[in-house]
Amino acid sequence: MAKNISLKIDGKPCNCEASLTVLEACQKNGINIPTLCYLKDINKEAACSICLVEIKGAKNLARSCVTSVKEGMEIATNTPRVRNARKLNMELLLAGHPKDCLCCDRNQSCELRKLAFDMGISQVRFPKTIKTELPLDTTSVSLVRDPNKCILCGRCVSVCSGIQSVKAIDFSGRGKSSKVTTFFDSGLANSVCVNCGQCLLVCPTGAITEQGATDGVWQELADPKKFVVVEVAPAVRAAIGEEFGMPAGTLATAKMTQALRKLGFAKVFDTQFSADLTIMEEGYELIGRIKNKGKLPLITSCSPGWIKFAEHFFPGILGHVSSCKSPQQMFGAIAKTYYAEKYNLDPRNIVVVSIMPCTAKKFEAKRPEMKSAFAYWKDKLSLKESESFYDVDYVLTTREASRLIKEAGIDFINLAGEDFDAPLGVSTGAAVIFGATGGVMEAALRTAYEVLTGKNLEKVDFMELRGLTGIKVAEVDIDGLKVKVAVANSLSNARVLLDEVKAGRSPYVFIEIMTCPGGCIGGAGQPIPTDEAVRLKRIEAIYREDKNKALRKSHENPAVQALYKEFLIKPLGEKSHHLLHTHYTERKEVK
Amino acid sequence: MTKVAEKEELGLDKAKLDKIISNYTGKPGSILGILEEAQKINSHKYLTKGVLEYIAQKTDIPVSRIYNIITFYAFFNLTPQGEHSIIVCRGTACHTRGSKNLLDFLINSFGFKEEDFSQDGKSFLTTKDNKFTIKTVACFGQCALAPVVEVDGNIYSRVTTEKLRKIVKGIK
Repeated sequence: MAKNISLKIDGKPCNCEASLTVLEACQKNGINIPTLCYLKDINKEAACSICLVEIKGAKNLARSCVTSVKEGMEIATNTPRVRNARKLNMELLLAGHPKDCLCCDRNQSCELRKLAFDMGISQVRFPKTIKTELPLDTTSVSLVRDPNKCILCGRCVSVCSGIQSVKAIDFSGRGKSSKVTTFFDSGLANSVCVNCGQCLLVCPTGAITEQGATDGVWQELADPKKFVVVEVAPAVRAAIGEEFGMPAGTLATAKMTQALRKLGFAKVFDTQFSADLTIMEEGYELIGRIKNKGKLPLITSCSPGWIKFAEHFFPGILGHVSSCKSPQQMFGAIAKTYYAEKYNLDPRNIVVVSIMPCTAKKFEAKRPEMKSAFAYWKDKLSLKESESFYDVDYVLTTREASRLIKEAGIDFINLAGEDFDAPLGVSTGAAVIFGATGGVMEAALRTAYEVLTGKNLEKVDFMELRGLTGIKVAEVDIDGLKVKVAVANSLSNARVLLDEVKAGRSPYVFIEIMTCPGGCIGGAGQPIPTDEAVRLKRIEAIYREDKNKALRKSHENPAVQALYKEFLIKPLGEKSHHLLHTHYTERKEVK
Repeated sequence: MTKVAEKEELGLDKAKLDKIISNYTGKPGSILGILEEAQKINSHKYLTKGVLEYIAQKTDIPVSRIYNIITFYAFFNLTPQGEHSIIVCRGTACHTRGSKNLLDFLINSFGFKEEDFSQDGKSFLTTKDNKFTIKTVACFGQCALAPVVEVDGNIYSRVTTEKLRKIVKGIK
């Protein structure tokens, strides 16, 4: 058992474990100390000096986030000296921060703004710090960095390095010319940044935002010639309610569907349809590799941050990555071919808008190879290269989608709710769980079991694959065939499994990798804040939705069955190969 | 890659750089030593992007971290330096003993204007003929000898404008 010590906080005797920091000890004893740069388990830069406390006998005030508790310590958290020092530091920070809060992306979710208010800052006694206006980094198609709004807390640097092991950004310069940047200020697009946007989620200010696409979507919706359809990722329904003040863990599927229809989308479809389709293609790919002794382990390919990570850091193992496109991209390709043919629409007039919990999806949609529908129609309609179009035209984050809904004046909370449109809105429970870490694996196993054995799978819940643990492993008995599988969420965890694959000693047959902690429900497109408690609630919502679905195995999806019957013929067939599968780019290898 | 093309990209002799890196392998804090020596073997005393990428690859240190290091220390140069370097200390002690005058003297005598030089600790001026580079540092740690100027690696103490004129003349 951990050693306990006794100490006094604000005059009250109390006990705590000897390994704690002063901040943690105070939190455990119900005392809230304001923090800004501190982020549990991620960032301990001690950069902001907001969490100051007074310790009896110490000359200076201490930063509670990095000070360890000691036997007999007497801590004061609420003295005039402490309050004044915290305020002073806050005012110094605010003196160098832009004051355009009204038009800032993070207007409603800015930690700096909230903290200033909570600390009772009514004026800033210092003149505005003289700073030259720094240029924005707009190189990335996913993220925008505004160094002028940066308060140098270091959270983004810590998350990029510690949680994702990408290390695309770091501090540069010194003193007043310090900033967070990429190598030679070359911009995120020219770095190893994988566009996961976890930096955006942890940023306490508006210094990192997504590349917005709402203007383009409004324009398309207003164009009578265009047939604008929308697809929504599984994780969005488990989080979008938060943007309208609903508690975390609210399932807002039906309200969301109705709100999107009200916005003017011709059809409201579901990425879950193509998630079921992904399971068919990827499941058959896995079965094929097992039967034909192909390259194993097979690794999932739904998470675009992970794909770019593999291209940079593990180009040698790209052969292990499933050739399946992600559900987002499969949807776009099917909407502009199968659906267009079935309903006699000109593919050039179809606009596919996708709503994602993700910023990396914006990059994925703009990968040059993601023009399969154009390739399909090119000869049939004798199209010129200059008329080429992407399979997915616009990608909006959950936050951006909620902004459209707010801008349109839709009373989201009081909507009665509606269903998705058929056929590309039909889905099973297996597709819902794509939104949580372990879900793609579980969905694949549900189908692989039944296809491989021809028997009915009674127990569809694979509990050992669920939850926030960084790496989860399981051995699944497929009618006597023992299959070892592993699931990783966040890229630093993925790296552990990938090092094994690279060294040729991976014991697994199938690996699922999700870029973001918790899977897509914790993506950078999701409502802010996204912390551990919120992630758990969203995951719970995802599994609730799965349980409520009449069908829970992808191969039972009638719309997917019809798609194969009418169009694709069979999984991994000729048409699938052109429309649903892709290839990867070896990028400059980084160790 | 041919040897000439390699030299062009790295700005220095790759074999020498490899030797430097291997000399430091396994030593704690090796990156500072590697960067210092790599800068030294470049004929214009600076680090190119190519060299930094190469060092990153060899040492397993991310390029973003290397950029952090070289932009933190005023010692490292990212652009070609003049043949001779003159570094004026702008620390508090030197300032109170007139180092601003020394800097202004240099700026004027090499035909620059004061506004060419922004004192953010990382800026410098190099003469058109690539002969001289004027820089500042925050402190040499030689405050008792203030004001201090470093010329081509030699520290001169209690420098006056007159003394500085002679030193510069000596190397011209």
